[in-house]
Order: sequence, then C-alpha cells, then structure tokens
Amino acid sequence: MNGQPTAIEKIVAFVDERVGLKTLQAKMLNEPVPGGSRWAYVFGSVLLFIFIMQAVTGILLMFYYVPSADHAYASTQYIIHEVDYGWFLLSYHFWGSSAMVIMVFAHMSQVFLWGAYKKPREMVWLVGLALFGIVMGFGFTGYLLPWDQRAYWATTVGVEIMDKTPIVGDFMARFLKGGPTPGQMTLSRFFVIHVMILPAALMGLAGLHIFFFRKAGPAGPFRGSSEELKAKTDYFFPRQIWKDMVAMGAVFFTICSLAFIEPVVLLEEATPDPGEYHPEPEWYFLFLFQLLRLKIFAGEFGQFLGAIALPGAFMLLLAALPFIDRSPERNIFRRPIALVGWIIVMISIALFTVSAIINREFLD
Amino acid sequence: MQPKLKSKVRCTDREVGEVTKVIVDPLSHEVSHIVVGGNGAGTLERQVPMAQVETVLEDAVQLRASSTDLERFPLLKRDEFVTIKEVEIAHLEDHLHVEPGEVLVPLPELERNVKRRTFFANFTQAIGVLVALPLAVPVLRYLMKPMYAPLDNRWLKIGNAGKIKTEDVGVQFKYKKKVKEAFMLEAEVDKNVWVLKASPAVLEEVYKGKDMDFHDATGRLLWTNKQNVPYVVYSGKCPHLGCGYKWRGHKVLGKVFLCPCHLSIYNAGGKVLDGPAPRSLDPLPIRVAANGDIEIIDMEFKAGTKAQVRIV
Repeated sequence: MNGQPTAIEKIVAFVDERVGLKTLQAKMLNEPVPGGSRWAYVFGSVLLFIFIMQAVTGILLMFYYVPSADHAYASTQYIIHEVDYGWFLLSYHFWGSSAMVIMVFAHMSQVFLWGAYKKPREMVWLVGLALFGIVMGFGFTGYLLPWDQRAYWATTVGVEIMDKTPIVGDFMARFLKGGPTPGQMTLSRFFVIHVMILPAALMGLAGLHIFFFRKAGPAGPFRGSSEELKAKTDYFFPRQIWKDMVAMGAVFFTICSLAFIEPVVLLEEATPDPGEYHPEPEWYFLFLFQLLRLKIFAGEFGQFLGAIALPGAFMLLLAALPFIDRSPERNIFRRPIALVGWIIVMISIALFTVSAIINREFLD
Repeated sequence: MQPKLKSKVRCTDREVGEVTKVIVDPLSHEVSHIVVGGNGAGTLERQVPMAQVETVLEDAVQLRASSTDLERFPLLKRDEFVTIKEVEIAHLEDHLHVEPGEVLVPLPELERNVKRRTFFANFTQAIGVLVALPLAVPVLRYLMKPMYAPLDNRWLKIGNAGKIKTEDVGVQFKYKKKVKEAFMLEAEVDKNVWVLKASPAVLEEVYKGKDMDFHDATGRLLWTNKQNVPYVVYSGKCPHLGCGYKWRGHKVLGKVFLCPCHLSIYNAGGKVLDGPAPRSLDPLPIRVAANGDIEIIDMEFKAGTKAQVRIV
C-alpha cells in the first residue's frame, strides 16, 4: 500500500466513474432494518437464491432434454442414467421446486403474521401474490416435462380442473392442452410456459416486488417503541446478509441431501392408459386433490365449488386483505381473527395432505 | 421549517458560521441536528441538536447558545454517518427540504410547447395500439390452431369377447391406438376400456329400456347400441376428472368400478354409487362380430360435467 492503486482498483474506479457503482452498492447494502436483522426475514432472499439455482439447473437440463412426445421421456432417462451428474442436476431441480413452495409458504406466513402486508406495503403484497401464482405455475408445468405416467396424469387431472371454470374453462383447458387431450401440443406449450414465459414473468415481478419493498421500506417487528427499534436497527449488510447466507447454505445443503437420498426416478412413459399407476399430484397440491374427494364437492357444481370457487375465493381474500384489514395494528397477538384464520388454514392443509397420504394405503 | 444548508448560524452574541450538514433521524425522517462549521467555528464542525435551535429563517439559523457554549457540543465524527445517497430509507427525500432553493436547467427552446408534448405522448400510445391490434387476431389464431381437432369416428378393434368368462364383471381391454398429431410421425399410445358381458338387469340399468344413439359432430347418426346386445363397453376415463378407474372389490358394495384418484365408485351398470363423480360411466359404440371380435368407436367425453360432452 504505497498509494499506487492496483489494477483491480483502477478497473473499479473506471466503472464507478461511469455508472456510480459505489453509490449503487452502498444503497443496496445500507438499508436500515428496523429493530435489527432477524432469522425471520431470510425467506425472501432464500427464495431468490432457490430461483437462481432453479434457473441454473434448468438451463443445464435443457442441454439434453428434448420437449417432444417421442423424445421427452428418453432424453430425461438419458439425463438420469447416462449423463455424468445428470441425475444430480435433475434431482436438485426437482427438490428445488419443493423447497421453493415451502419457502413461499414460509415467506407469506411471515408477512401475514407480522402484519407486513398493511399500509404502505399493499403493492408489495399484491405483487407477492402474483409471484405465488407463478411459483405454482412453475410446479404444474414443470411436472409434465419428464413425460412419464406421473407427469401425464397430474396434467390430465389438473387441466380437467381448470376446465371447470365457468364460461372460459373449456377454452382455457383446450388452449393449454393445445387440443382436446394431452399430447405433443401440451408438452410444447408447457415447455414454453415453463422455460420462457414464467421465468420472464417471475424475473419482472420479482424485480418489481423488491423495488416496491425498497420503496416502502422493511416493516420491522410488530412490537417495541420507536426508541427500542432505533437502538436495535442495523443495515441489511452485514448482519442480515449473513443470516440470509447461512439460510441459503442450509437450504442448498438440504436440497443436495434430498437429491442424494431420494433422486428422481421416472415411472413408465406417458400414455393414456394408467396401468397400475394411481395418479396423484405433487405433494403441495395433495390437499386440493384430497379436498376434491369430499362428498360436498361432488357433482358438476360441487366440483366447481371445490376446484375453482374455493381456491379462487381464497386468493381473492388474500388480495383484498390489506384493503379489508385497515387497522394499523400489526401485532399478531392482537389480531385474533388473523391468527385463528392462519392456524385453521395451516391445519386444514396439513390434515388434508396427511389424509391423502393415509388414503393411499386403501387403494391396492 | 427545516434549516437550510449553507444558512448562517447565529449564536446569542454573534454569527459563528454556517450549516455545513444536516443530520436526519432515519425513523422520524425529521432533521435531528445541524452541523455548524465554517468561519466562526474554525475548521471544526460541531453537532448541534435541533432543540438548541431557537428559530429557523430562510437563510439563517438562530441558536439558543452563546458562541462560547458552542464548544460544549460534540465534534462531528464523519465516519459515524453515511450520506443519504449511500443509504436506502423509504420516502426520506420526500420529507427533506434542506436544499437552499431549487437547481434549475433551462428547457430547450423546442420543448416549451406543452401541447405538442401531450400530442407526442398520445401518439406513442396510438402507435402501440396500431402495432398490437392487427397482431391480436393472428397471434390468437396461431395459438389456437390445434385446439379443436375433428372428432375421430373410426371403428377400432380392441380384442375378442372370448376372454370374458363371467357375466357382470368388468374386464379391461387394453389396445393400441394410432395417433397422428400435427407434424409428428404417427405414433401408438396405450389405451383401455372396460367391457362387460351384461345381464338383463345391468343392460336395463345402462340403456333404461331404450337403444342408445351416437352422433358425429354434425349430428348425423353414427351408430346405435341395441339394448338387447349383451356387451357393454365403458370409456376408460373416469367421468369425474379423467383418471383411469379399476374393477375392485369393495367391503360394503361388493364388486365395483373404483377410481383411485378421487374415489368415485360405480356399479357394473356404470351408475355412481359413491364419491364425487357427476355422471355415470360413459358407454361407447360397440359392435361384436360373429367370431367375438369387439370393435368400438374410441370416443372421449369431457370429465366433470353432468351432461356428456364429446371431445374426441
């Protein structure tokens, strides 16, 4: 250090002079976190990390995967059995999608329980809900791509459910399938949606989500006087980023472990005869699947009720939440309806999921 | 009023310098301190809380303290602060009015006609609409191309009735069906239907005393299943949500058709006994040759509707 800048310093200075890199970096890192960094705030960053890893592994899978009805299955099997570490990348991508759904639930629950959807963060919440839809769309479209029986039947049933939407249902279902029944056109469409449309939408909306979040500022804890919060406040960097990184590491390690312990194994190639296979969706749709077994959701109208109206109404309720719940109170222990509502929803999802799993035993 | 940067700072006895910086509270967004520096205070900068400010004028700040008292205020430790350009605090700038007046840049001569600017803004949108509108129909048609395939009314041989030994027992017939989709080479897919050698009671349940007519898309009669022909064939697709159902023993209901997806249960006559299905199993056109060969028209119906809506 004799005052002479190194080559790297010169390059940084060159870029900084032109784009204001240092100010930009400072702005990104120096975001006050009211009440200080917390483990409860890691979910958003973790989701971003999972998405980046899904994009990376997804792009790698496309080097071998062929989205055609006569090659999708074979190329996926080739990735699993022939390509070095193909099984790992595919299994990582598979388990990564589950991790994404779990983290979305955690993230939404945290925001809900902390009352962080309230004014002035309504826009952050709304864009977040759209992102939730996109994540579900990723799961649904990606599931078809290996073109095995599991894929085929999950799609068959899933699209039939969409078909139950009044007036536009038939059009939507045919539009998505590219015909009356699942086939090559469906695979092409799901592929384009999965690798182009949804990633573009997710990147755009996630950018907007973070932009709105930064504009509104972090909500901070729901308890504590402003003096207490101020005393504990720190910046996004380094303490929160440290926690985020640890969480990312833990998630990465978990996904890798799952990929090792339970690597993806395909069933028979997709065909309209299920054989001995009992169709079932991915675990995060199981509760909905089990819901549709209920007698109250029987018949044409019942099905509309269970498959379209109920989930639709729930999403609408979530979207309307910041506008219905206008009280500035954020403490979850002083919001009994919100707390009880959250517990009921979580318990119902857990119960329906477990009963779907128990039901499996009675089917053979 | 917030103290402006560069304002003169006066103590009770004399002018001591100017406001060189202001410090903002990150939570309340209010100015919490001014930093006094410049001529009177030497090169040192001192941090004075707003409580010590008596009045704020447009270009001057009056302190409650005297110039000698000023030295009691702490010196500014610059490295304990960041500038507002290096930190992101939501809506901070909205609350700050510490700049002395506005900094202006002249509008170019050509840009001083407001009407024309509005016109161009609208024109941009109009061009956008002009580009998007003519594309809407072609794009939609492009994407809709495969949606409505013509119905397939071919007869398909699926096997021989000789394999059915017992009356009123569901027997699965698996067969290959050739499909030719768009640009793809012709391929074979596996399909299945359930065939029943039906007793008169089951036939009555299926046909309800009437022959069953099947029509093509234009309404022309394709085939009639005679109610006295003892073979009945059901589409392999569950009318609930399109899964494949099985012939299974049930503890209470005896032998039934059971769909493992959402647990719809049908009797041999196809009637819904339990579960969420909205209608009975779908009988298909069937003809049985003298040698027992069974042929069907492999129709598919939309699942989940009360009425039969044919889609294949």
